[in-house]
Amino acid sequence: MFEYLNQAESIKNIVTIGSMVLLFIGLFGLLTQKHFIKIFISIAIMETAIFLFFIGNIFNKNFTAPIINDGFKNVAIMNDPIPHAMILTAIVIGMAVLALGVSFAIEYYKLTGNTEIDKMNEMRH
Amino acid sequence: MSIKRTLPTSTISGFTLSAVLILTFLKILLENLPSSIHRAGDELLKLNTQEGVANAVTTVVVYFRGFDTLGEIAVLFIASLGIGLMLSENSQCEIKAESNFMLKTASTLLFPIITLYGVYVMIYGHLSPGGGFQGGVIIASAVLLLLISHKDFEVPHSVIVLLETLAGVSYVLIGLIGLFTLDIFLGNFLPHDVAQMGMLVSGGIIPIIYIIVGVKVGSEMSMIVQNLIKRGENV
Repeated sequence: MFEYLNQAESIKNIVTIGSMVLLFIGLFGLLTQKHFIKIFISIAIMETAIFLFFIGNIFNKNFTAPIINDGFKNVAIMNDPIPHAMILTAIVIGMAVLALGVSFAIEYYKLTGNTEIDKMNEMRH
Repeated sequence: MSIKRTLPTSTISGFTLSAVLILTFLKILLENLPSSIHRAGDELLKLNTQEGVANAVTTVVVYFRGFDTLGEIAVLFIASLGIGLMLSENSQCEIKAESNFMLKTASTLLFPIITLYGVYVMIYGHLSPGGGFQGGVIIASAVLLLLISHKDFEVPHSVIVLLETLAGVSYVLIGLIGLFTLDIFLGNFLPHDVAQMGMLVSGGIIPIIYIIVGVKVGSEMSMIVQNLIKRGENV
């Protein structure tokens, strides 16, 4: 019954569907929530979905990690190192942007006592 | 007052909109998912064996995309600077609960061990999974542990400034030395023998640059955490 799960194609499909579900959760939160921190957390969830999509699609259980050891010298059966490096960059940048956004939200709340985007009308007058 | 909660229109419309978007996206992705992805990494893996670094991800991050990593560190620095500028200084840290004796002792006991593990992950970044970013974040987590358990603990600002400046300047200096000796920015000018692959001293400048990245990331993350804890309180 679960042999279907061992095929490479089905793993890719499962990863794609799962990461899109995660992206849906993030997008839904981004569209419907009004609290600042919840919006930033939704963006973080969407980022996680993209990381999962990249890393999961490059995964192959017959391949080894891209580290050359005494036992593993065959370059042809190693995983692609580029998505790992790209996602490493993306995680760090996402963390930096999230921290900066949260600090903006904290300071805005200190100034106005307001946590909802609907009530942001300081620039209207 | 009705028990049944009515759904607001924004929820329904947001659900529909995101569902339609994601389903379209999913359909496009599932139909065009390539059966065998043409790997650009094969060439890089072959090149990686010439550099004498065991971990190919490290080589890609630090050597082939070294200039990009420099920009990434600059982004992290700007985020840290923005947090320091944004959060106002006047509020004092007022954590309500006083941490007890056991928490204080355990956190002081754990701090050197976590820091040591972070340094290990940093130094062995070219041999095993890990590297500068991961090790820096581990060190920052040790600082976070001390910050939330000790009320009056504070990372000395001068030390952070010194470490950050030294790390940033030495990164650019190593790149410039490579430019002047090999005509390549961030060229590998130190000896990198393939026979030494897997040893701690191997790979020329690549482990040195990753250690520099680790120092910079660790100090910046510690500063971000400290700013958010010390100044984000007492609203």
